[in-house]
Amino acid sequence: MTERQKKIRNFSIIAHIDHGKSTLADRIIEATHSVDEREMEDQLLDNMDLERERGITIKAHAVRLEYKADDGETYIFNLIDTPGHVDFNYEVSRSLNACEGALLVVDATQGIQAQTLANAYLAADANLEIVPVINKIDLPSADVDRVRAEIEDVIGIPAEGCPAVSAKTGLNIDDVLKAIVRDIPPPGGDENAPLRCLIFDSYFNSYLGVVVYVRVIEGTLRPGDRIKMMSTGQEFDVVEVGYMKPLGLTKAEYLAAGDVGYITASIKAVADTRVGDTITTAEGGATEPLPGFKASVPMVYAGIYPADGARYGDLRDALEKLQLNDAALHFEPETSAALGFGFRCGFLGLLHMEIIEERLEREFGLDLITTVPSVIYEIKKRDGSIVRIDNPTNYPPPDEIEVAREPIVRASIITPTEYIGGIMDLCTDRRGIFHDMKYIDATRVELHYSLPLNEIIYDFFDALKSRSRGYASLDYEMEGYADSKLVKIDILLNGDPVDALTFIVHEEKAYARARKIVVKLKENIPRQLFEIPVQAAIGSRVIARETVKALRKDVLAKCYGGDITRKKKLLEKQKEGKKRMRRFGTVEVSPEAFMAVLKLDDE
Amino acid sequence: MFMIKRRHGKRLGIYVHIPFCASKCSYCDFYSYVPKSAGVYSKHIDTLIRHMESYKAACADYSPDTVYIGGGTPTVLPPEDFLRLIKAIKHNFHLQKYPEFTVEANPKTVDFETLTRYRRAGVNRLSMGLQSANKAELEALGRIHTPADFEESFRAAREAKITNINIDLMYGIPYQTYRSFMNSLQFTLRLKPEHISIYGLKLEQGTPLAASVASGAYPMPSDEMQFAMYRDAIDILAKNGYVQYEISNFARPGFECRHNIKYWRCDEYLGFGPGAHSYFNGYRFSFKRSISSYMRGVNYVSKEEMTDENEIIPLRERVGEYIMLRMRMTSGVDSREFFRLFGKDFTRTYGKKLERFVPGGYVKVENGVYSFTPAGMFVSNYILSEVLSFNADGTFMLE
Repeated sequence: MTERQKKIRNFSIIAHIDHGKSTLADRIIEATHSVDEREMEDQLLDNMDLERERGITIKAHAVRLEYKADDGETYIFNLIDTPGHVDFNYEVSRSLNACEGALLVVDATQGIQAQTLANAYLAADANLEIVPVINKIDLPSADVDRVRAEIEDVIGIPAEGCPAVSAKTGLNIDDVLKAIVRDIPPPGGDENAPLRCLIFDSYFNSYLGVVVYVRVIEGTLRPGDRIKMMSTGQEFDVVEVGYMKPLGLTKAEYLAAGDVGYITASIKAVADTRVGDTITTAEGGATEPLPGFKASVPMVYAGIYPADGARYGDLRDALEKLQLNDAALHFEPETSAALGFGFRCGFLGLLHMEIIEERLEREFGLDLITTVPSVIYEIKKRDGSIVRIDNPTNYPPPDEIEVAREPIVRASIITPTEYIGGIMDLCTDRRGIFHDMKYIDATRVELHYSLPLNEIIYDFFDALKSRSRGYASLDYEMEGYADSKLVKIDILLNGDPVDALTFIVHEEKAYARARKIVVKLKENIPRQLFEIPVQAAIGSRVIARETVKALRKDVLAKCYGGDITRKKKLLEKQKEGKKRMRRFGTVEVSPEAFMAVLKLDDE
Repeated sequence: MFMIKRRHGKRLGIYVHIPFCASKCSYCDFYSYVPKSAGVYSKHIDTLIRHMESYKAACADYSPDTVYIGGGTPTVLPPEDFLRLIKAIKHNFHLQKYPEFTVEANPKTVDFETLTRYRRAGVNRLSMGLQSANKAELEALGRIHTPADFEESFRAAREAKITNINIDLMYGIPYQTYRSFMNSLQFTLRLKPEHISIYGLKLEQGTPLAASVASGAYPMPSDEMQFAMYRDAIDILAKNGYVQYEISNFARPGFECRHNIKYWRCDEYLGFGPGAHSYFNGYRFSFKRSISSYMRGVNYVSKEEMTDENEIIPLRERVGEYIMLRMRMTSGVDSREFFRLFGKDFTRTYGKKLERFVPGGYVKVENGVYSFTPAGMFVSNYILSEVLSFNADGTFMLE
C-alpha cells in the first residue's frame, strides 16, 4: 500500500428510506469544510429536483472531500451516494463495490427496517467494513440502546462504540469522521498493474459528453490513454480525468489504484458506459473484467402515450434524452388502437416507472397516458414454441397455450407485530406463499413471502403502507418463474374493446378485479349524450358490466348581468377538459380513468 | 340656438348595480352584501351619479332604450336615494320615448306607495324573485320571504299599476321534488305575470349553499328529475300562453325582456356599479366586485383602480360570442344573417358540427336557422363546447 492510498477512505452511506442518509452526507460535507456554508444547499448530493422533492436519491453520486484529522494528517474521503430503493439494487451493489466501507444509518426511533437489512447484506456481500451510525438521537422517542442491541442481534456487527448522532442538528458528527478514518480500511491495488476501473455511474453532459464515474481498482489512468469497455469492446480516447469536488468537477493529472474520480472521453451515450462494466486500456490492458457485471433487465413494462397525440415526437425526444442518463430505461415504438402512437417502455420496477413518468411530465411538460403496467409472462404454446409477453394485448388465445408462467419475487417485509394480521391477509390476497417469520425484537418481525410480481406492481406498496399505518417496509428480489393459471381480460366501452385497458390476471381473481375496474371506469368516464356500457370480458364472455348514464343537464341557466366573459371561460374550460379526453370509437375517456384502474386496493 | 334633444341615436342598454341586500341568500354569487350602516346607500348613489356624468359625452350619440336596475336588491334603497338615481339616469342619457325600465324587487321590500312613486318616476317593469313557493326550499336558499309575502308584494305592484312583471323561479333546489316544482309553477301562473324566468340553481363555489350541498346536508333532485321539470314546464307554459324565447326565459308575446335580449344579441350595454359588465364601443369591460374600489375609482377618476377586465372584441371573437349567445335563444342562428354580419358560411362550418346533434333530437335546422330543442338547451354547454374551439389565449378560434 502506498502512502497516497493510506490517506484515502472510500465509503458509501446506506440506509432505509428517510433514515437520514442525505442529511448525514450534507453534514459530513459541511464538517470537512469542503463547501462554504453560504454555498451549501441542503442535500447537495441530490441534484435533481425530483430527488429533492421525494427525499430519495435516484442516481448515485459521488463527492471527494478533504478531512484534516486530529493527528495532523489530511485524509481524502470519497463519499459515494447510493440510490435508496429496491428498484435500483443492482446500481447500489455496484456503488458499494467501489468502496471499502459503508456507513449504515439507522433511525434511532425506528430501528432496523427492510432496506436497512437488504442494504447491510449487499454491503456484506461486497466485503465492506460496515460502520453503524445511529441517527436522529435528538428526537424524543429515540432509543439508542435498543437500536444498538438490535444492530448487534439482527445484523451481527458490533455497535458498542458506534457514533450516535443527529444529522439534522449536527450533533456528534465529528465521531462519524473519526470512525471513518479509524474503522474503514484504505484501498489497496497495484498502481502499476494493468488498468481496471469499475464504472459505478455516468451521466450525459452536453459539453463534455458522457461523464463516467469510476473507482480505479488497479493501475493508473491518464488523459490521452486509449481505453476499452470490457463488456462491449468499444474504445475511446480519454480527454480528461479528475475528481468530483463538492462544487464541481476538478481536473487531475491522473487517477490511480484506490482513487475515485471521473473520466471524459467524448462518449456520446450513457448506454456505452454501463454501470458495473470494467474499463481497461486498449493496449496492455487487463484480461479479466471485474466480477459482477449485469446488463440491467426491465421487470415492468407499460405503454406510455402522449395525451395529445400530436406530441408523439416530443415524447420520443424526451425518452431519448432521459435514456442518455438512464441506461435501465428501455423503450420502443408501439401503436394502440385506442391511444394512437406511443412507446412500450421497460422499467426496473414501479418506482423507476413513476420517476420516469414524473420526469417526462415535469421536465418536458408532457401530459401522458400510461397503460396498466405488466410483467413479462412466459407462454409455452401447444406448438412447442415459447413466447415472452410484455404487452397484455399480445397474450395468445387460451387454446394456443400449453402452460403460462409468471415471474415470482421473494419479498421481505418488516413490520411491527400489531400489523402482522393485516399484512398476512394482504399477502394471501395477493397470492403470496408464506415462508417464515422471524422476530427482530419483541415488537417487530420479518416476514418472508414468495409473491407473483404482477400482484405487487399495481398498488401493493400503497396497500402495505395503509395497512401498517406507514410502518411496514418492503424489499424484494427476483426468484424465478412459476406456472400459473392466467386469463386475459378485455375492457369494452360501448361494445368496443379498448386495447390499452387489457390486463392479465390470475383466474381466481378475474371476477373481483373485473368488477372493480368497471366500477372505477364508470366513475371516471364523463357522461355523454348517450348511455355507455362498460364491460369486462374474457374472450366473448362478459363477466362484469356497469353503465355510464346519459348526460341530461349541462347548461348555464343564467347569463349573469351581461357577464359574457364568464360564460366564455366556462366553455373554454369545458373544451380544455375535452381536449384531454381520449376518444374510443364514440366514447370519451379521461386520462384519470387510466390511473384509476391502477389503484384498486379499497382499504 | 335651440337644441332639440336627440331621441333616435344608437340603441343602448343601461345597467345599474345596487350591491345591497336585506339578507344574503345562501346560493348567491353576485356582488352584494348587507351594509352595516345606512350611510353607504346615498354615498353609492352619489358615486353612480358621478360615474354616469362622466359618460355623458361618450353617450351623446346614443339613446338608451332599456334601463335595468339590478342587484343585490335595489328596492332596499331609501326611496329618496332611489328617485335621485332615476332622475340622474334620465338627466344624463337621452332615453328613448318608451324605454323598458326594469327594477329587480324582492318581496317585503316594496309597498304600494313606493312602487307608485317609482312608476311615476319612470319604472315600468318589475322583476321579482319568487324562486319557489315551498317553505322548506325557500329556507334552504336563505330567502327571507314566504309565498304569502310574495303574493302580497305582487298584488301591491299590480295596484301600483305596474303592468309588466317578471317572476323568477328555480329548479334544482334542495328538497325540491317534481311535484313541489309544479306547485311553484302553478302558484306563479295563478298570479298571471307577463314574463317568467326559470333558472336552474347553479351551485357556485364559495357560497354557503354549495358547501352544505357538498357536505350532503340536503337531498337534491337528480339531473334526470331536473330535466323532467324543465321539459314539462316548457309545455305547461306554452299552454298558458308563455312562449319560450331563451333557455330560461318565457313571456307573453310582446313582453320579452328587451334588456336581457341585448346580452344575447351582442348589442351594446353600459353597466354602472361594482361588478357591472359592459359591452360598449367594441370593448367588453367590467368593474371590480368591491364597492370601495368602485368608489375610489370613480371619485378619484382612476380607471385602473376600478376596472377588472377590459378587452377589445375583434371580429373573430364576435363570431364565437355571437354563436354562443344566439344559440341561447329559440330563434337560434340564422345562417343568412350570419353571412350578412360576418361574410362567412355558417352552414358548412359551425352548422355542420351542429347537425351532428340533429339525430339525437338536440338541434333542429329549419330554413337555414339552427336552434336547440328543449333537450338540446339542457345540454347546451356540452354541445357548444363541441362546436366552438379556442385559441391558446382563450379567444374563440375562427372556423
